[in-house]
Amino acid sequence: MENIYISILIKSLSAGIAALGFGILFNIPRKVIFTVLFLGFLAGLIKFTFLNLSFTIITSTFFASLFVGILSIPLARRVHKPIVVFSIPSIIPMIPGYYAYKTILAIRKFTFLTVSDSEHQTLLNSIFTNGFMTLFILFAITVGVSAPMLLLGKDMARKLND
Amino acid sequence: MNICIMMMRSGANTKRVIDNINRFAKVLDFESHALISHKSIIMTLKDLKTKETYTVVNQIPGYTIDFTIVSDISRASWKALDNNWSYEKINNRLNEIKNKKKYPLWIILLTVSLAGAGFANIFGGDLLNMGVTFIATLVGLSVSKFLHHKAFNPYIRTYISSVIASFVATLGIIFNIGSDPHIALATSVLFLVPGVPLINSFNDLYNNHILNGIVRFVSGFILVLAIGLGLITIMLIFNINALN
Repeated sequence: MENIYISILIKSLSAGIAALGFGILFNIPRKVIFTVLFLGFLAGLIKFTFLNLSFTIITSTFFASLFVGILSIPLARRVHKPIVVFSIPSIIPMIPGYYAYKTILAIRKFTFLTVSDSEHQTLLNSIFTNGFMTLFILFAITVGVSAPMLLLGKDMARKLND
Repeated sequence: MNICIMMMRSGANTKRVIDNINRFAKVLDFESHALISHKSIIMTLKDLKTKETYTVVNQIPGYTIDFTIVSDISRASWKALDNNWSYEKINNRLNEIKNKKKYPLWIILLTVSLAGAGFANIFGGDLLNMGVTFIATLVGLSVSKFLHHKAFNPYIRTYISSVIASFVATLGIIFNIGSDPHIALATSVLFLVPGVPLINSFNDLYNNHILNGIVRFVSGFILVLAIGLGLITIMLIFNINALN
């Protein structure tokens, strides 16, 4: 049982590091480096906890990015920076790279290799499952992270940017 | 006004750009209306005192994401509005922002490669997989930065970087390094994923900048295709077809 918690912690930590790396790639201001690391870590923590509670990966990703979106608002006020500066890097670790990879692998096999009919069917299955997984996880991320900002409207934005 | 161009190419969404221009224009006693597209900006400024109008069309050079610029300009625009900055002061501040120091190359390389290793861990790779991804990302990103320096077309740049990064990771599969070398291959190209254009595209779409949103989405999508093509090229050459 303890092992699971430790592996969740380590995975979340690497999510944080990944977020930080992308932040640096996008040249974020020095002040928010730790904020990004922290947010990425928390997002990973939430995602893997939900996954552990046997939610689907789409739901858990949605909750994690929703959380990032909500938490970004008070944080933005504290460090006086626009929200996107740290919300985007910290959700990037959740990008469904492995599903996208599997989709491409299946497409490649489907188009470039001659295989039997039954194999074609399993490949089609694989393309569609992984492809739609990728697409819906992406949707979950974008909707989750931008919903809080949208709902709060313009007056809030004025206050945040002070 | 250069502000608009600077913000657009640094990866701000359309609404933010317009808001910021309006703020600066207000400070200088102008009324501004802008039509912003992906490659160029048309802007009309109306002097509120003399009622004269000026129209400028400007090209946007290539895109490089720089959140420091976005954040600093945003901040400066509010300050200018609150403290009534003069034209010179705004100009000075903009030059300051433009010439601000960026992170040194080795820090970028190191942290992004670490990010790649982090990805490998998230998808369930062990230490050796992480090592392979680290090296693949390091090599791929160096190539990408080098080509960026040589002003290559971004799509071709992404394709070449993707081919090279996945080639390095493929060595991991050939020599069977780590528990699941496929994870290393899958995560080695993730640093190329155009997260900012894609997220900005959705942002633009529901702020009703539909055209810009679509343009950003398509350009992001072509980048993703370029990454995928790079992967497929390498897979074809080395005949990798394990599906798990």
